[in-house]
Amino acid sequence: MKKVISIILIFVTFLIIYFLQVNFFTWFNISGVMPNLFVILVLVVGLFAGKYMGISVGVIIGLLLDIFVSKKIGVTAITLGIVGFIAALLDKNFSKDSKITIILMVTILTLLYEILNYAINAIIFSYSLEIVDFLIKLAIETVFNIFITIILYPLIQKGGYALEENFKETKILTRYF
Amino acid sequence: MYKKKRTGVVGIVVTVIVLILLVILSNIKIENLTFVENVFSTIVMPFQNGFTMLKNKISGNNTFFTDLDNLKNENEELKQKNSELEQSLRELEIIKAENTTLKEQLNLKEKYGEYNTVSGYVINRDISNYTGMVVINVGSDDGVQPNMTVIADKGLVGNVVSVTNNTAKVQTIVDPASSVSCIISTSKDAFITKGSINNSANEIRATYIPTDAVLVQDTSVETSGLGGIYPKGIHVGTIKDVVNTKNPTDKYATIQTAVDFSKLDTVLVILN
Repeated sequence: MKKVISIILIFVTFLIIYFLQVNFFTWFNISGVMPNLFVILVLVVGLFAGKYMGISVGVIIGLLLDIFVSKKIGVTAITLGIVGFIAALLDKNFSKDSKITIILMVTILTLLYEILNYAINAIIFSYSLEIVDFLIKLAIETVFNIFITIILYPLIQKGGYALEENFKETKILTRYF
Repeated sequence: MYKKKRTGVVGIVVTVIVLILLVILSNIKIENLTFVENVFSTIVMPFQNGFTMLKNKISGNNTFFTDLDNLKNENEELKQKNSELEQSLRELEIIKAENTTLKEQLNLKEKYGEYNTVSGYVINRDISNYTGMVVINVGSDDGVQPNMTVIADKGLVGNVVSVTNNTAKVQTIVDPASSVSCIISTSKDAFITKGSINNSANEIRATYIPTDAVLVQDTSVETSGLGGIYPKGIHVGTIKDVVNTKNPTDKYATIQTAVDFSKLDTVLVILN
């Protein structure tokens, strides 16, 4: 039951983020560049709820975004799925309790997501590469995501640990008994 | 523990303030900063005047200040004349803008009167910073099909890439994957315009420009009708700047699109 409620809450968060991205951030932006809150959402799910939830949520959110606005279905689904998977891997190697670690993870995954997305789109649609412009936009977007992470950090922590409680089974280390 | 919590809250508040300032500063037009200039000059000017007077006295060229009263009066008169001229200039600009709008509307009716169109609204925008897609509220039920041309009051918007019963996805001309065959309205030189990643600036790039083509700033660019998607003669934008390279075949130009895509609202889909 708790898992179902958590999934509903993730979906509601997705809707809130979607409306923020298509409305609020179209005017609240830095030099025309919006942040990407979907990366933060998938990162939090992957980090706290585990590999399978991270990948599933990433792929489903990506698919929905592809259906809503993209030209080709699948590109965002694949890249957000990868973000979810890497988030779960990061959980094994790094502490989630430090703000700096979370910020670094957001930075790395924002860069990875956008570079992958741009590369795949550039191949599919034969873009003429504009590396400098891309890097400038990417830098602004990453900084914007960092700001949002700092602001939302208490919420990320609370929501994250609630997810962890519901999705990750408590492992009893029997050797201590 | 309490201190740590308080520091965290202060950190978040500071971040929010910094973020808001960043957003405002990055989007503000430099002309809107005149009040800052005014405040700054009010503080600095007395000192600057004092220093200048001192410097003039020392260097012996202080005769300028003997005629200060006359100059002040003259300055006041000139200021008044200047404000009157500015006022009439503003009035003229308003009349000019009205004239342009009326002309555009008249041209639009004449220009697109031959097409069978259906109007729609933009209901969704791309969430990515690197592409330029919009979703409109007309679909196959209204006769919209993929590859149909989409225009707005100012000019070309893009083409339909996919449709549902009630919506259509439109790839705008600023999308990096978009290419449009265009000609210069006056000289009829043809080239290809491509969307750019820098789509928030409403700019596209003209490539494959003939080596003998003469590109002049502010010249109008329109669709050539080649390529099978866009009809001939739809206004695309104006040439903003031309970049000449060592190799003349690599020459390119930046075109300012006629449509402001950040404010795009009503569109027309050409059905025939």
